[in-house]
Amino acid sequence: MADASVIDPIANMQRLTTLNKVLTSKAPIAQTPKQMVWALNKAKLYRYVPMVLPEQRHPTPLLLVFAVMNRPYIIDLRPGHSYVEYMLKKGYDVYLLDWGCPGPEDKNMNFGDYTLEYLPRAIRKLKAVSRVEEFSMLGWCIGAIIATSYAALRPDDGLRNLILLTAPLDFSDKETITFARWTAEPNFDVDKVLQTFGNMPAEFIDYGAKALKPVENYVGNFLRLWDNLDDPKVVEAWHAMNTWVTDNIPMAGATFRQLVVDLYRNDRLMKGEWVLRGERVDVGKIRANLLTVIAEGDHITPPCQSRAIMGRVSSKDKELFSIPGGHIGIMAGSGAAKVTWPHIEGWLGPRSG
Amino acid sequence: MAKDATGNGAQFDPMGSLRQMRDGYLDVWAKAMVETVNTEAYAKATGSMMDAYLAVSSPFRDAVEKAMLQALQQLSMPSRVDFIGLAERLTNVEMRLDDMDAKLDRIEGMFSKPATAARRPAAAPPTPANQERVRRGPRPSRRKRTK
Repeated sequence: MADASVIDPIANMQRLTTLNKVLTSKAPIAQTPKQMVWALNKAKLYRYVPMVLPEQRHPTPLLLVFAVMNRPYIIDLRPGHSYVEYMLKKGYDVYLLDWGCPGPEDKNMNFGDYTLEYLPRAIRKLKAVSRVEEFSMLGWCIGAIIATSYAALRPDDGLRNLILLTAPLDFSDKETITFARWTAEPNFDVDKVLQTFGNMPAEFIDYGAKALKPVENYVGNFLRLWDNLDDPKVVEAWHAMNTWVTDNIPMAGATFRQLVVDLYRNDRLMKGEWVLRGERVDVGKIRANLLTVIAEGDHITPPCQSRAIMGRVSSKDKELFSIPGGHIGIMAGSGAAKVTWPHIEGWLGPRSG
Repeated sequence: MAKDATGNGAQFDPMGSLRQMRDGYLDVWAKAMVETVNTEAYAKATGSMMDAYLAVSSPFRDAVEKAMLQALQQLSMPSRVDFIGLAERLTNVEMRLDDMDAKLDRIEGMFSKPATAARRPAAAPPTPANQERVRRGPRPSRRKRTK
């Protein structure tokens, strides 16, 4: 197949056309119908249009909270391969909290603002719209830090089920966590960077994430596309993922500073020393049912960062689920629909009645 | 992979062999690079590069910002700082609106309690336990009948 296309000029022209299209255009993403029900500053709360009849729906809505420095549409990447679509078909009332893109005026926004100002307001609206008192929350990556902090600081606010995906919560193992080494005190002057830029530029965050696996991200990824240019399914998946990967947003300066100083350098969350708006975050106060999902091949959040929470919370119903795969792959990769999504749904279903 | 006309097996595919070699080389390179970026030396080197970049770019950025500010003032145009202040004020207004929205929701909830009760969320989907209950029918009342 490949040997024929090497000498076939028409086939090669088609391949080049496909390559050009994929590299220079954006794939149609986030197509599941939704309605904006709340907005504050750049943050928006969306409610997805249900796909099943009311009597078949779970009464407990699910709130999705993604990281603050990436676009959240990775959980609704493309039709037929969307976690949101999957959960809607399973009868969930799904909400998505999109933090938006911080501007220069947001450089002082920190984890306290996200956790105790924006998230509670969004949750209030969710409860009012769905007319419920209890809800489930799924936090992914930095979104999991916010979700965990909220669950610890507001344990009586109706949070019934907490799902943490690749949650960077424990920063004690400095040897395993590459970011901890890069952002350590003598190597990285966080104040100088933020003094210059205000917010942490998206390009720097993107470089940081890609540099953890430089060959895969800068070379292997494009070779995989080149090798599969004749396969429309692979090209479509690659195009959608590349659209998300290249759509980066900056991180609010004060939030980035807290991430580096409080968490990566001083591990204040797990030590019980993290203070948000004058309130100490004590993960021992978390009582919600807890599912922690770990990606075994995660270079961004190594598994050691997510395990410690299991022994610290007061939740009686808790489960640790470990899956082979990477930080994003476990939820957006080809195996997500076969392994991760059914497991989360299987756990959440009986707890959402 | 192409097969020969007699069906005696796969033809020699030079591209396939090259691709295998390439993938093998990439694997080795990838592992070596992951180890490299995990070293203290790499962390120090990137830190130094960042310092150098900031040292070179900061004065230039400051100069451009000052010049731009002066130019905008001369033209009686709002500057970046003015827009930032305006955006912060808008966010505060939005917060007050959200507070009012919360109060309105609460008031609406107080007035429409009967309606809310009627519009409660759908019942839980059938589980083995409640399916069993449905099949058996409602439990008989324990209250004694009075004549």
